[in-house]
Amino acid sequence: MADAIMGIGGLKYDHKKRHRPPELNVFLALILIIGVFEILGQTLPYMNGQSFLFDTQGRFDSIFNEARLKIVILQVAIIGIIALGVTQVILTGGIDLSSGSIVGATAMIAMSFAQVGEVNGSPNTRAVFFEQGWVDLPVMIPVMVGLACGLFAGLINGLLVAYTRIPPFIATLGMMVTARGVAKWWTKGQPVSFPTESFATIGAGMTPVYIFVALAVLFYLIMRHTVYGKHTYAIGSNMDAARMSGINVQRHLTMVYTIAGGLAAIAAIVLSSKNLTAQAGMGVMYELDAIAMAVIGGISLQGGRGSIIGTALGALIFGVIISGFTYLRLDAYYQEMAKGAIIVGAVVLDQWRQRRAAHRL
Amino acid sequence: MKKTLLAATAATAMMASMANAQNIGVSMALFDDNFLTVLRNGMIDLAAEMDGVSLQVEDAQNDVARQLDQINNFVASGVEAIIVNPVDTSATEAMSNAAASAGVPLVYVNRQPVNVDTLPDNQAFVGSNEIESGTLAAFEACMLLRAAGKTESANIYIMMGELSNQAAVQRTKDFDDILGIDMCNFMNVIDRQTANWSRDQAQDLMTNWLSSGEPFDALLSNNDEMAIGAIQAMKAAGISMDDVIVTGVDATQDALASMQAGDLDVTVFQNAAGQGSGALQAALDLAAGESVATKVYIPFELVTPENLDDYLSAN
Repeated sequence: MADAIMGIGGLKYDHKKRHRPPELNVFLALILIIGVFEILGQTLPYMNGQSFLFDTQGRFDSIFNEARLKIVILQVAIIGIIALGVTQVILTGGIDLSSGSIVGATAMIAMSFAQVGEVNGSPNTRAVFFEQGWVDLPVMIPVMVGLACGLFAGLINGLLVAYTRIPPFIATLGMMVTARGVAKWWTKGQPVSFPTESFATIGAGMTPVYIFVALAVLFYLIMRHTVYGKHTYAIGSNMDAARMSGINVQRHLTMVYTIAGGLAAIAAIVLSSKNLTAQAGMGVMYELDAIAMAVIGGISLQGGRGSIIGTALGALIFGVIISGFTYLRLDAYYQEMAKGAIIVGAVVLDQWRQRRAAHRL
Repeated sequence: MKKTLLAATAATAMMASMANAQNIGVSMALFDDNFLTVLRNGMIDLAAEMDGVSLQVEDAQNDVARQLDQINNFVASGVEAIIVNPVDTSATEAMSNAAASAGVPLVYVNRQPVNVDTLPDNQAFVGSNEIESGTLAAFEACMLLRAAGKTESANIYIMMGELSNQAAVQRTKDFDDILGIDMCNFMNVIDRQTANWSRDQAQDLMTNWLSSGEPFDALLSNNDEMAIGAIQAMKAAGISMDDVIVTGVDATQDALASMQAGDLDVTVFQNAAGQGSGALQAALDLAAGESVATKVYIPFELVTPENLDDYLSAN
């Protein structure tokens, strides 16, 4: 056992033969994509030699274009938070299609407890709870209400998946439709705007990034060093084996989906604060972007393989692509086509690498 | 047996009451759109004021096929007239045919159907002429830049709505048309991108643009939500909103508040409630056998800080 451990299916391998971690490949892909943008930017005549990553105009104190670095992360931080939860669900071998709709419903409900009583000097009579006088409430109330909404939706997802044994795809598809219905019903489609200053600080400036990074570190540690993390991987690798080795699979699955719902709620709170508004259509398709981030980051849809670092890198790749296209002033039509191709390409490459690695064993 | 009898009586009673009321079926493209919600409420409010008019409002959830099903269901249940807010303006031919073959009057609202010039006698379109909105906003931006003495050259960004959407395409074209006239051709476009009508995407897009460090004088946005998102991004980057002209379209509550705060310079008011009530009126007239103009246009109105107060309680 010293230098040889049993791998999946009883294949023998030792550490000397172990290849670089999959996250390294994702990281290299990230560098590669940045390089492509940088070279294209230098070559295309209309770009006037402007750099993607570096400060060529002397606008910042460092050699980097800090504004670009910031937006690259900022624009994926909120969906990144969702992706942290989605990653855990996928690691158990499940899928969560409901996160985008949970974002919509949570944003609407939370924001209606965060509204001010006065806008530009006149009473904000359009506030949802204006008549009840629930305006200018302390920031903890909308945050707590929002979290409760997300956790509750996640709990229902979890109970459905764990105890009724319906496929996660169906259970969370149901929640996706239902939660979107809640988002529309809450104010009959009207937007909920004008939050208190304290609520507005949650998503202001770079705060979404700090929240995302803090949560990513937290869940990286949890997934790597706690029983919760180990059980999640165990269930994803082989659910029957996990059950037979004494893991309470049903309780654990419920917990994973509940946590994913909670993370979607955090994303909703940050998102509505960043935009100073909540709208019923918020978060549409976010679940797919979150899943794509995880998949680009090397999380296997079969479950059991991948890590939070991979997802964080996947999110960064997303951010680099969005910023890179805008930097190159590429037409919006081509952006979508290219984005889809990159998602599929990343997974194809990863699969190919996996197979090659398996052959070498 | 008793139960069946009861059910039958109930059904007859229901049908009787339905025959007395004017039943109007309404199929909205989607419910979770701020503007369309105001429009929908404009219809509902007018119906509530009237005696014996009952509306059945359905949500097509942005699905063309679902909308056609809803119209066929309305026809099957024998409504007096149908109001459609089309999901896709190029998919209206089938809807017109479905209603026409059953002889049910049909009114399109807000989005101009592709077959507007060949509509049967008992069909009509109520909405605003989309050409006006982008033109009004871009021309006002041009005038403001001229007033600021930037007639040598002015750099602008254009933010577009969803590229598959007729209004986005039309408004962007209107912007371009204004930029092409002699009076305004000093405005050159640095870049144009879509932010899909969304405030969040607009914030990110603007921040991306700002990261290139290119100086600019104005932003023309296809709608208010994106204009507000861009304003939030510019303010976060420390840009004074006195130095940049920002225009939107829609005159939403959030936009008017932003204008009150001195951030948004121009928006265009589209009378949503007026379109809603206008559509219902047209539908009732058609159902009563009266003739209605094929195109009923509710004009767009330019909103600037000067006349802002007139619109604060409008939409």
